[in-house]
Amino acid sequence: MSETNSTADAQGIALRASIDRSLRHPVMFFFTSASVWLAVAIIFGLIASAKKHSPDFLNGWSWFDAGKIDAAHMSALIYGWGIQAAFGVIIWLMARLSRKECTASGTILWAGHVWNAAVFYGIFKIMLGAGSGIQFMELPSEVWPVLLVCYGMITIWSLIQFQVRDAGHVYISQWYLLAALLWFPWITITSWVMVFVFDGDALMATGIASWYKATLFSLFFLPTALASAYYLAPKVTGRPVYSYNIALFGFWSLAFFGPWAGMQKMMGAPVPQFLPYAGAASMILILIPAISVGYNIIRTILSKGELVAQSPSLRFSISGVILFVIFGVLSFFLHLVATIRLTQFSFSGYGLDILGIYGVFSFCAFGAIYFIVPRVTRREWLSRRLIKWHFLFSIYALGTVVFCAIIGGFSQGQGIEDLTQPYDTMASRSQQFAWGVTIAWAFVLVANLLFCLHLLLMWARLGRRSSHPTLLKEDHAGSPHGPEGEIDNYGSASA
Amino acid sequence: MTFKAFLIGLLGTFGLPWLLVIVIPYSTQRTQKPVEYEEGAKVSGVYMPKRDGRITEGSVVYGQEGCYYCHTQVIRPTYAGNDVHRDEWAGLRKGNGVDEDTRRETLPGDFEQEKTAHIGISRVGPDLSNFGRRVTHYLKGSDTNPEEWVLMHLYNPKGVFRYDSPDEKAYDSTCPTKAGMFDEINVYGAGGRTLPVDAGQGKGVIPNDRARALASYLVSLKKDTLGNPLPKSLNYNPKAPVANE
Repeated sequence: MSETNSTADAQGIALRASIDRSLRHPVMFFFTSASVWLAVAIIFGLIASAKKHSPDFLNGWSWFDAGKIDAAHMSALIYGWGIQAAFGVIIWLMARLSRKECTASGTILWAGHVWNAAVFYGIFKIMLGAGSGIQFMELPSEVWPVLLVCYGMITIWSLIQFQVRDAGHVYISQWYLLAALLWFPWITITSWVMVFVFDGDALMATGIASWYKATLFSLFFLPTALASAYYLAPKVTGRPVYSYNIALFGFWSLAFFGPWAGMQKMMGAPVPQFLPYAGAASMILILIPAISVGYNIIRTILSKGELVAQSPSLRFSISGVILFVIFGVLSFFLHLVATIRLTQFSFSGYGLDILGIYGVFSFCAFGAIYFIVPRVTRREWLSRRLIKWHFLFSIYALGTVVFCAIIGGFSQGQGIEDLTQPYDTMASRSQQFAWGVTIAWAFVLVANLLFCLHLLLMWARLGRRSSHPTLLKEDHAGSPHGPEGEIDNYGSASA
Repeated sequence: MTFKAFLIGLLGTFGLPWLLVIVIPYSTQRTQKPVEYEEGAKVSGVYMPKRDGRITEGSVVYGQEGCYYCHTQVIRPTYAGNDVHRDEWAGLRKGNGVDEDTRRETLPGDFEQEKTAHIGISRVGPDLSNFGRRVTHYLKGSDTNPEEWVLMHLYNPKGVFRYDSPDEKAYDSTCPTKAGMFDEINVYGAGGRTLPVDAGQGKGVIPNDRARALASYLVSLKKDTLGNPLPKSLNYNPKAPVANE
């Protein structure tokens, strides 16, 4: 790390510190409430999966009935954890990259509370059996406009910060953030209006809800995750991004292929036939941005690969990027004409969703949280062991969930297609894999209870008062997070 | 890349699929032309899918209870899957008390009166497109009427006999119960309104309104014929009854 202590640097440090201070409360609010929602989502996921192999589990608790609990699980994961964690990352990253303090943290905080209340209300209604009953858009109709207004009040400031930034370089992370900020309302308003407000064709309503779910991942969660990875990889290693052109290609290929996804869930249903094929093609072609982004970021950190063992943020982010490549490869193989007939109505889709949201997105978000929280609280993480456990349990369990869901899905789909087998054979085939998923969710739960506890302690400002960042390995000469005595890394390494 | 170029790029890459995949199909699918019967068909005029039961209401309950997480309602054409040939999923075959082969793949009219089509996410349980057809067929002449069977199944999937072989009491179903949609009441006398399930001495079980709507909807799932014979142009099954014979 080659910093020179000049006046400009001192000003930069002061500016970054004031940005961090201006965003402390909203960012910590989003991260902590998101992590609590994540724990809730995982408990729901555990129950939902248990019901697949032991239908009598929690019998008599009609709130937790199969079906409703699946819907509550996905809604808590997406709206409770995912989008809120994304909010925290977006508002902090955009402020830092645009070098503008946040002047509306009160409004953001207020909107964040309303968001939480709306999600709570929505999930409560789903569990009462009063959700919308539309697959992939289960929150009741009245919740959506509230969420959209909150979204606007939380993120508009990031757009303004970008607009009033001092002229200069636009970072790769900023493209992703800007695009995500514009795509999200476009997707959500379209889907909400066409599914809930207009009285349209029943099949297209389902198709659009499928499109909503798929594009919410590929055009909101994914860009946010990649923005964070494109920020952290160069920042922590102090190396510029490997190739600007590959970054450009990766971004535009995602923008180009992403919006077609979703309708592959309608394969064989009586909708215009090109829709499911366009969806499947999009899911196949997502391999292209996956490989280019993966290659670019991994090449960026390669010369300082040893830092992955030390820095928790880098380790999580790089894992997220590698998981994105794995996501691309799996998505490629799951949506080929020969395989989609097996996987369309199987657990494989769930496995891929979890790989996307808990794998790609959440790992990048964890990386960002491990980086951002010490800066906004001015305290260091308490325990390297907790971080290590969080990582190990998460990666192990994620691998198990995805493996069981995808292999189990193939076996299930093959059982339905094979007409020489009675239906019951297929039904019993998927059971053993459902067991695997349940056990793996238990591990994810342990990982995230640790994470949640750690984060809440940091929120209570009980973090270490130290200038040495918490690293996963004892460091020797220098630290990857900047020189001793300075929590902030100098310079804008992210080119 | 200037900011302007960036915005135009986003508009282009997102706007085109938005129009082609969402807006245009949505508006064209909203107003589908009715299909007319061919010249010389036994039936004349326009084909009208006909469904009986509390469909709109039951369909909402079906969605709210999340049935689509484990059950699908789509019979894919053979290019996309073997659903048509799976036992009785697509309709009944000829023989065994059935006069004609009614199997067919899903048509847009199948979701008449429903707000959303419950295509489904995974097949943990069987496809339900023709669930009502199967139950009604097998329970013909039995003491149990189809809706009552469905309610007993919803209350306790393991406690009910198989509709296709009534002697088999041990129904090895993995379907979780929806007992929350039933009320337990005290019964004095014969308890005529209660379901024929064992709820304990002096107790009886009655379905609430949501359960009744759901049962009515499930029994209405007879998507092989939809009440009227299909016009030739919609019928891909050469063995199915045709209107112009």
